[in-house]
Amino acid sequence: MTSSIARPASRFRLSYDSGSAIFLVAPAVLVLGLVAVYPIGYSFYNSLFDLNLARPHRVPFVWFDNYAKLFHDPQFWIAVRRTTVYTLVTVIGTALLALGVALFLNEAFRGRRILAALLLVPWATPSIVNGLMWKWIYDPTYGLLNGLLLTLGIIEKYQVWLGDPNLTIFLIAQAAIWKQMPLAAILLLVTMKSIPDDLYRAAKVDGATVLQRFWHITLPALKPGFMLVFVYETMISIRHFDLFAIMTQGGPGDASFTISWQIYIESFRSLKFGMGSALSFVLALATLILSYLFIRLLSRKL
Amino acid sequence: MARIRCENLTKRYGSVTAVDRLNLEVRDNEFMVLLGPSGCGKTTTLNIIAGLEELTEGDLLFDDTLVNFVPPHRRDIAMVFQSYALYPQKTVYENIAFGLRLRRMPRQEIDRLVQEVAADLKIAHLLDRRPHQLSGGQRQRVALGRAIVRKPSVFLMDEPLSNLDAALRITMRTLIKKLHQTMRTTFVYVTHDQAEAMTLADRIVVMHHGVLQQLGTPDDIYNRPCNMFVASFLGSPQMNFVEGALERNGSGYVFRRADLTLSVNGLADNLASAHLGRPVVLGLRPEDVDLRQTDGARETVACHVGLVLPLGSEQHISAVVGGEEMIFKIDKDVEVGVGEQILFGVDPSRIHLFDADSGLSLHASGRA
Amino acid sequence: MTTASQTRSNIERHVAVRRKPLLPAVGRRALLLSLSVLFLAYVIGPVYWVFVSSIQSEADLVSVPPNWVPDDVTLQNFHAIFFYDAKEVTYESRRIGDPATGDFIPTAAQNLLPALYNSVYVGVWVAILNVLLSLTAAYAIARIRFRGRRPTLYLILVTRAIPDIALVVPLFLVMRNFLDIVNTRESLIITYLAVTVPFTVFILINYFESIPADLGKAARVDGCSHLQVLRHVYLPVGMPAVVASLLFAFLTSWNEFVLALMLTSTIAAQTLPIVISGFVFDFTTSFSLVNAAGVVAIVPPVVLAILFERYIVSGLTAGAVKG
Repeated sequence: MTSSIARPASRFRLSYDSGSAIFLVAPAVLVLGLVAVYPIGYSFYNSLFDLNLARPHRVPFVWFDNYAKLFHDPQFWIAVRRTTVYTLVTVIGTALLALGVALFLNEAFRGRRILAALLLVPWATPSIVNGLMWKWIYDPTYGLLNGLLLTLGIIEKYQVWLGDPNLTIFLIAQAAIWKQMPLAAILLLVTMKSIPDDLYRAAKVDGATVLQRFWHITLPALKPGFMLVFVYETMISIRHFDLFAIMTQGGPGDASFTISWQIYIESFRSLKFGMGSALSFVLALATLILSYLFIRLLSRKL
Repeated sequence: MARIRCENLTKRYGSVTAVDRLNLEVRDNEFMVLLGPSGCGKTTTLNIIAGLEELTEGDLLFDDTLVNFVPPHRRDIAMVFQSYALYPQKTVYENIAFGLRLRRMPRQEIDRLVQEVAADLKIAHLLDRRPHQLSGGQRQRVALGRAIVRKPSVFLMDEPLSNLDAALRITMRTLIKKLHQTMRTTFVYVTHDQAEAMTLADRIVVMHHGVLQQLGTPDDIYNRPCNMFVASFLGSPQMNFVEGALERNGSGYVFRRADLTLSVNGLADNLASAHLGRPVVLGLRPEDVDLRQTDGARETVACHVGLVLPLGSEQHISAVVGGEEMIFKIDKDVEVGVGEQILFGVDPSRIHLFDADSGLSLHASGRA
Repeated sequence: MTTASQTRSNIERHVAVRRKPLLPAVGRRALLLSLSVLFLAYVIGPVYWVFVSSIQSEADLVSVPPNWVPDDVTLQNFHAIFFYDAKEVTYESRRIGDPATGDFIPTAAQNLLPALYNSVYVGVWVAILNVLLSLTAAYAIARIRFRGRRPTLYLILVTRAIPDIALVVPLFLVMRNFLDIVNTRESLIITYLAVTVPFTVFILINYFESIPADLGKAARVDGCSHLQVLRHVYLPVGMPAVVASLLFAFLTSWNEFVLALMLTSTIAAQTLPIVISGFVFDFTTSFSLVNAAGVVAIVPPVVLAILFERYIVSGLTAGAVKG
């Protein structure tokens, strides 16, 4: 039954939905294009050159030489080690502490609302202030940590905390954990609250202990929350720069020499922008791969 | 009021075809019901008529105007949802008035219309409340009010009563039927409840797997189903089916299965002769048997009573006929005992015959 | 001698008290109380220490062991920040103003107030512009099935995989060559949009997806264009996520250090983190002043976070709950 009605001439007429979508998405995409995509592209372009601002007139094109050089650079591998340790400690520490806090705040008791509101204080603290705060606490001459431990009799004399290469990474990680734990805790707490009560009741009837209920009900239900926490925390911890800049500047020696710091050194101290850009892309690639792995790993188990 | 025409309407999501070449015409002021199980494509079709989803192929016309590319807010339609979809932060009054406000109607006019609709639906006392303060039935009335007040050309309803309890459902059914009579607008109503479809519809479209099965009046669909799916979907309890063979008997045809022999009439000659000796399925509705009338004009069936299930208003008995367990409806006053041998009469014109492979009806008038 | 009935009731009396809870009520109370104290000490303690350090005189502050509760409170640091009085720096005043005994206020202190103003200015603008950009994009991605929907989302999110330091030079070039706004607050605002939009788009999409689709459909049928649906349905119903986005955008730009450091060179556009880091590395700055600067930087975001805590939580986690 063909009908003789007017048809729009073009078969590829843009539908109303698609047209609207383009208008709605355009502003964000354009801004990001200018201040994110273009710089990223330009940065990648830089990484293919032996670009050294100390000699700005000679900029040979070197393909992926910078990247190759990196893998032979012992300093790079030190940075990789430091970054890995730092990220692992930070992410796992944040997750564990967040879990504890979430379990704690999940209980019903008076004053819980106030404590939950105060939970956001570390999250709201600017990272620079976070850095200077802990630096002040760790201070070798006047710091609170020294004073406290001395008074408690745990140490005999004041330590130079940040100056101890074995401790540096962990101390900085501690500052990062302090600031990032609240967000993770909130995520886990909200997920916890959505676990139906009936599961716990059934388990109690079946005779499960508190620990068993936690292991078999709470933890599995928190998987999506943990996944989000792990991915997000990894993405930001791997790139941390502010704390290192304020607290230790990569030192002592190379105790806190992370990839981010190496990028800074190469780009702004050695002025080798090509190398710095290459490093950045290695870091970005690592971030993407890790995020992808996490998502696959945890969603398969679900 | 508007005529709606679907021509080869197709909707695909990737490799899945949700609606497959649907050809349908909804007449002016008609109450059309799209009936089928979940996943049959009825809601998708409704969404396409509304413009909320875009069709993949085919055409959609309102009054001979192509509306394929017209967005919903320009189609002069109103819709009522299963979840009511009331704006949570607006009052009942604002919910109803919203559509009119968007069309820049003068405030007094809006007020008059809203008050009128609210009074008609008996929700005038709720105008200042917010949706979360209302019961399910009240919310549904507000949703109806929101749709009615705009006096649209087409009224679309997506399982609006499914979230209500049984008693409320029946009240609202009547309300909707009356609405249709007073509003004189084209209604397209989607449901999976066959009772709802039967009571409300002028015509019913039965859909399954995205394909139109049958289009017809409730009487057509119920008494002359064109295939086994339609026959099984309508009627509660479900039509009884038993597989057997079709044989000739003089000038007529006979269904035979074990000890069951029933003569069948109304078959299309070409189909009947083609099916001789091939497996066929007999369909018999539970209410189409009569325990009391077993005169010569009717066929008789003998069986043992297996179970008796009293429902108060009627009784259902389970009996084995032709080797298959069947359910029959009988009067509440008839006394039947378990294990009894009973004889009941069947009107041959009430017997349905289907091809066992395709499920298609073998009757002459059985197609849509 | 006890009778049979007495014995029975004795047994009943003991046996009836059966199945004590794992943690008797008193024990639970004690545990929760001690946990609360630990929690507060960890979460608030360090900030408290910064605050306390800022209101002591330098002499008090550098005493060993440190004073938890200061004996003498002084507001001289804050006075110096807010009512900076350029003292003439002579050989004498410098010698007297030994950092360890206080009274020496570096000239950089006068930059704190302008930096504070810059941070607020940039933060507010970023928050507003961010939400405007993200709302429309998030609505389109969440609710409109358009071709290229997935790639657009991934593109937006993936821009955050690159560390900020790598973007400094290219961004500087963009600011200078394309827009000619080097060393201005506007350059920071635009830059921070790139940094914050991906995350806010993510938050908003998550939240929007938890809003029943029927609401938007009803609005469209009622006569709304997509933009109107966003305005009348998704904006009001999605308010928690919008508030969370505003706060996140503000906090991120308040927080941001590296890009601001590289893109600005004078106090005309420099923000708080830069000035404060300057203090930390200037050995002549008294510790108490640094801490006072820290307090100035902490108070606005913390106050905002606590005030809007409920919105932040529900806005950030609407999607996470569904997994």
